[in-house]
Amino acid sequence: MMRLKTKLSLFNLLSKLAFTALFLILMPYIIQRINLRHIDNELIQKREQVLILISNIGIEPFITSDSADAFGSYNILKDEFVSIEKVDLEEDWNFIEVTPRLIEDEEINYRVLNYSFMIDGQTYLLEVGKSLESILHTEKNIKKVMLLFLVFIISITFLTDTQYNRFLLRPLDKIKNKLKQISDPSLFDQTPVKTNTSDFQRLDGALRELMEHIDILFRKEKEITINISHELLTPVSVLRSKLENLLLREELDPGIQNKIEESLKTVHRLQSMVNSLLMIARIESHQYLREDTFQVKEVLQDIIEEIDPVAEDKGVMLKKQMTDDFVCKDANRSLVFSMFYNVINNAVKNTPMKGEVLISCHKKQEKFFVMISDTGIGLTEEQKSRLFSRFKMRDKNSGDGTGIGLAIAKTIADFHEIEVVVSSEPEKGTTFSFIFPEIS
Amino acid sequence: MNVLIVEDEKSLAVEIAEFLKSENFLCDLAYTGMDASEKIAVNLYDFVLLDLGLPDYEGLDLIKEARKMNSEASFIIITARGAVEDKVKGLDLGADDYLPKPFALPELLSRINAVARRKFKISNPDITLGDFIIQAQARRVLCNGNEVELTKKEYDLLQYLVLNQNRVLTRQQLYEHIWGNILDDQYDSNFIDVHIKNLRKKLNNHTSTPWLETVRGVGYRVSTEEQ
Repeated sequence: MMRLKTKLSLFNLLSKLAFTALFLILMPYIIQRINLRHIDNELIQKREQVLILISNIGIEPFITSDSADAFGSYNILKDEFVSIEKVDLEEDWNFIEVTPRLIEDEEINYRVLNYSFMIDGQTYLLEVGKSLESILHTEKNIKKVMLLFLVFIISITFLTDTQYNRFLLRPLDKIKNKLKQISDPSLFDQTPVKTNTSDFQRLDGALRELMEHIDILFRKEKEITINISHELLTPVSVLRSKLENLLLREELDPGIQNKIEESLKTVHRLQSMVNSLLMIARIESHQYLREDTFQVKEVLQDIIEEIDPVAEDKGVMLKKQMTDDFVCKDANRSLVFSMFYNVINNAVKNTPMKGEVLISCHKKQEKFFVMISDTGIGLTEEQKSRLFSRFKMRDKNSGDGTGIGLAIAKTIADFHEIEVVVSSEPEKGTTFSFIFPEIS
Repeated sequence: MNVLIVEDEKSLAVEIAEFLKSENFLCDLAYTGMDASEKIAVNLYDFVLLDLGLPDYEGLDLIKEARKMNSEASFIIITARGAVEDKVKGLDLGADDYLPKPFALPELLSRINAVARRKFKISNPDITLGDFIIQAQARRVLCNGNEVELTKKEYDLLQYLVLNQNRVLTRQQLYEHIWGNILDDQYDSNFIDVHIKNLRKKLNNHTSTPWLETVRGVGYRVSTEEQ
């Protein structure tokens, strides 16, 4: 995964490098072609001059009929020459080539124009040559300059492009940061991001609209849960009071008394479920205050004292290993109590006789861990995945709980930004780890 | 003592009244806020049980009115709303206690009792059960002059049973009284059995406790009649 900014810069750099490479590969060829064409034109011009000269003064000044068969002329620097010689040729020559020539023990590459012509039945070959050395030299220099220029241009444009991209993408960063910080749509920052890029404006606008919409839906859902719960609690209340009054009648026979108690138990289960849903909805809509400061160790100690008699009765050892303590600030003590209580009680419930439940807490890398491990039957992957779902663990709980205790614990943890990690091995046991936000 | 029950759910009001009458309270009923307002203005009540969710009246306004008229009534709020702000608001306005619906009738009695003790500065009298004396003021139990070491929970259980003497209390009622609503989901009949077992063991170390009865399949009872 790469950031958009990095990707753009990288592409920018690569495309420029590719362009440079292509240019560097093609440049010598192009320069050579241009130069050769230029030289060729020059050579043809020279040929015409020589031919005009010959037609004016005849061939004799150059080649006498008896003495010499060839004529040659160089300038001092040997970068140009003209030669005429008698030859026998099957066909007419008129071409330009590059050949090395040995002149005064020095081999020099020349561009040579070969041209044959006839005077008085005799064929002559005219050669006009121009040294390539100087051209090669210039070529080299041009290449150097070009290369330097390219490097300069590329670095400058790369830097400006990168800066501009960064400037251009700044609104996107802001939108991204707005999304990063929130755990709930109601916390989304609704102030629009300043930008004159219409795409970002549209993105930001769409996100804000979406968040507002989700927030309204969430709130409605929570309101409905809360309202339904309230509506349900009143009839439950009536039912409960009626049954409790019935139970107080003195003339009841034990069988009826028993049935009333069982009905009360059912009413209580209903009440529990409604209250649990209500509690979750209330926590999620932030109706609980977070203004307590307390020591986590002390909360755990209280819970251990509460549960110990029951664990003892069940034959489960409740062990503690509390090395460090942690001061919990801006929290709700009774909710945190409830969270740990639910998990520890659950652990005791699911541990067979002679088993162990270990409660430990320690500091590690600036974080505070509370771990609750049991030697119970453990969880399968499937059970683990639905551990915190409401009512789904019902089949596992043999007790009178509604199977919502862990869902409540998770909701409370989320409310306090406490991370919960569950690890489990079937037949070995389960460990719940609560990781408190970094110690500031 | 005079009690006004302000509750728009008639059948609930009737049940509460029936229970309180069996405890020798005199009960008046008001099903609407207007009715309640008039009754508070005319009569003298020791207690007003006030449902906040009245259709025609903002329940908390009744407390304000009563305070203006120098009514001596103690208010106990009963509500299905149960939100934290309501509780804080209600108690700020001078309500004496707060009980979320649904509540157990014995719990209501225990709350009224506690408020009455505070209000009239009466101390619960010492209660004698066989060889045991329960000193409510000092929150301790003596057996022939020796103190019985009890945990806070065990003492609370015993006191709740004694307050509701000769009345069977279910495990749920006992559980709720001790642990309140926050641990509602974890209600486990085992919890109460274990605590009663421990309580009985500690008391039996001194002398037998035939008055602490287990009502099979229902719950527990402190019985003073057969002694």
